[in-house]
Amino acid sequence: MTASRFPRRRLLSGLVAGMLALPLALGGCGGEESKDDGKVELSFFWWGAEARAQLTEQALALYTAKHPEVTFKKTWQANQGYFDKLATLTAGGDAPDIFQIDDNYLAEYATRNVTLDLAEYQKSGKLDTTKFPEGLLTYGTVDGKLAGLPFGENTQGLVYNQTKLEAAKVALPTTGQTWEQHIAWAKDAAAKTGVPGTMDPSADYKAFWVWLRQTGKELYNGKELGFTQADVQAWFELWKGARDAKATPTADVIHEGNATDVSKQLVVTGKALTSWVWANQMPELQKNTKDQLAVIAYPGDASKQWPRASMYFSVFRGSEHKDTAADVLNFLANDPEVGKILGTDRGLPSNTDIRADVAASTDNPSMKQTIEVVAELAKNFGPAPTVPPAGHSTVRSELIKAAEEAQYGRATPAQAAEKFFTAAQAAIKK
Amino acid sequence: MATTTARPSPTAPTTGPAATRRGRPARHKAEGTAGYVFLSPWLLGLLTITAVPMLMSLYLSFTNYDVLSDWESMEWVGLDNYRTMFTEDPSFWHAVQTTLTFALVATPLKLAAALGVAVLLNRSFTGAGLFRGLFYLPSLLGGSVALAIVWVSMFNRDGAVNSFLGWFGIEGKAWVNDPDYALGTLILLAVWQFGAPMVIFLAGLKQVPVELYEAAEVDGAGPVRKFLSITLPMLSPVIFFNLVLETINGFQGFTSAFVLSNGTGGPVDSTLMYTLHLYIKGWNEYQMGYASAMAWVFLLAIGLVTAVVFRTGRFWVHYSDGED
Repeated sequence: MTASRFPRRRLLSGLVAGMLALPLALGGCGGEESKDDGKVELSFFWWGAEARAQLTEQALALYTAKHPEVTFKKTWQANQGYFDKLATLTAGGDAPDIFQIDDNYLAEYATRNVTLDLAEYQKSGKLDTTKFPEGLLTYGTVDGKLAGLPFGENTQGLVYNQTKLEAAKVALPTTGQTWEQHIAWAKDAAAKTGVPGTMDPSADYKAFWVWLRQTGKELYNGKELGFTQADVQAWFELWKGARDAKATPTADVIHEGNATDVSKQLVVTGKALTSWVWANQMPELQKNTKDQLAVIAYPGDASKQWPRASMYFSVFRGSEHKDTAADVLNFLANDPEVGKILGTDRGLPSNTDIRADVAASTDNPSMKQTIEVVAELAKNFGPAPTVPPAGHSTVRSELIKAAEEAQYGRATPAQAAEKFFTAAQAAIKK
Repeated sequence: MATTTARPSPTAPTTGPAATRRGRPARHKAEGTAGYVFLSPWLLGLLTITAVPMLMSLYLSFTNYDVLSDWESMEWVGLDNYRTMFTEDPSFWHAVQTTLTFALVATPLKLAAALGVAVLLNRSFTGAGLFRGLFYLPSLLGGSVALAIVWVSMFNRDGAVNSFLGWFGIEGKAWVNDPDYALGTLILLAVWQFGAPMVIFLAGLKQVPVELYEAAEVDGAGPVRKFLSITLPMLSPVIFFNLVLETINGFQGFTSAFVLSNGTGGPVDSTLMYTLHLYIKGWNEYQMGYASAMAWVFLLAIGLVTAVVFRTGRFWVHYSDGED
């Protein structure tokens, strides 16, 4: 169920579930007596669609084939409502042994001691991360602890509609254009094709973040904001200029594009010529349109982009089978056979050897292009930022709110910037 | 429901000749026990699913409970959550305003629509039953997610509503994606689901004695006069009942706003209902203590509004008892 008619009642039943489960949780802390029969059942929870479920089940079946004593209690669901469920399970002290998580929530869970620090397994070699890009591991580290195993890499990608641009004889955008050049290009493209040239990404934290890094700032410095109100204002003004120049769609269309679903991205719905996404979403975007898509880096200095973990697998700190869970993660991340099964479904494989294998063996052109583009960009990546602090998801939604106020013309860039800055400060301080 | 069926019947046949004075208290006691046994499923539900969690949430509302942390790290914060709500959370007041707008506009319109259609359907004509069923249909679907999804797609910029308006040369707005109209579309959805109060109105209309209308006609009253002087007063207890129910319903609006805004209350907070804000605080920001405090303020507020409605009822609700 994604929505309840009586949220308070659901909230309450969640609480009672928590209460009933409390003794269990406390009992669970009593000791880690291993079961004598050697049988282990690990609960495994992820979000995704049917396709991912099939791949994941195949991969886990392979583990069971090699370790017959280990079986899995698999649960998966759509992204919507996933984190509600995970929070409820956690509140009941009954979090899954292994669960999928993303950078929105990793710090929320890690700072509240839900996740196991995987560094210990990393050191002992039981969890091999030697083939992982270093920046990717940085992006899984919260307060010095490896809170989640980055499972899949991506980086910012600007996806454009090649078919429409070529038909109107507009030059294709290239990596390395400045933001101003991109907006000017979009204005020209809009005039020639009749479709708005670029989605307005002023509500998009990842675009804002890249832009900030290119000016020497960060979205976060540890548990502080890494930018000033003036920075936000400059960002909002940049895009107000683009809207005024008719390089972007109108506010209500931008609002549609601000949803995170792949199928609602404007480059796919044909309401803009470019969308600001994660590079690994390319194959999925391509499935949703007949037009040929292509991907480049965001404007500006592309070396300021970073390898972002598209998602992680974390182990519950209260799990009774931590060692087994770590071994499963090691298997999923590093086994070449599993690598072939999972492909780039969760992002480009973290293990670069496996990534190369997948790139060589895939016959999906958009997957191939994505891997090539990310590999090309990765050569120049500077240091990666740390994973966003707790409160990040609120910062994201506050940015959307403020940017949309400016887009709908209900606030000036200065007013919207002030509102966002105040709200963002409050969100990460709480 | 369970209460009425489980209540020990006073007219239950007594068992054999033992029904003497002496046997009476014992049997009484046994009946009482049996009653409680029959009640127990419901009682158990009330206690475990309603009462205990409610008290628990009352307790949590004075803490900084955050869902994810261990219970040991939960701290008592006194009235902090309540203070924050009234003084430091601008979205709280915004949500209050949105909810009030929604409830105060949607409820009267819904009741008016329900009464209007009920009056029309009260006449006897061929297919009356069919029409009653058809008009009731939307509310069978209730607060369903599917219905909200359909509604949103109908009111999109390229949705069915705008195509319809296009036939008349009217260029529609992007209703659901425009902060000026998003709440309006939700109100319209609520009004459209007028079936439940309509059925109750229909039942009420059937109870109005035909003689009153006949007498009024003899006196030369027209249809408007008959409606104002007979139908409305005779129906006032039913109107009152519907008003109470629908007001409470209106305040609790959640599903449609959640679906329309993908759980964000957008565009630009225009559909941020109180319940949605509560949900976001509890489940997206993990401030469950704060969310619990919001729930209690909400409960008290709805209680207060209902009490006010009851108060005003004295002045306009007429009970025509003891006429026969």
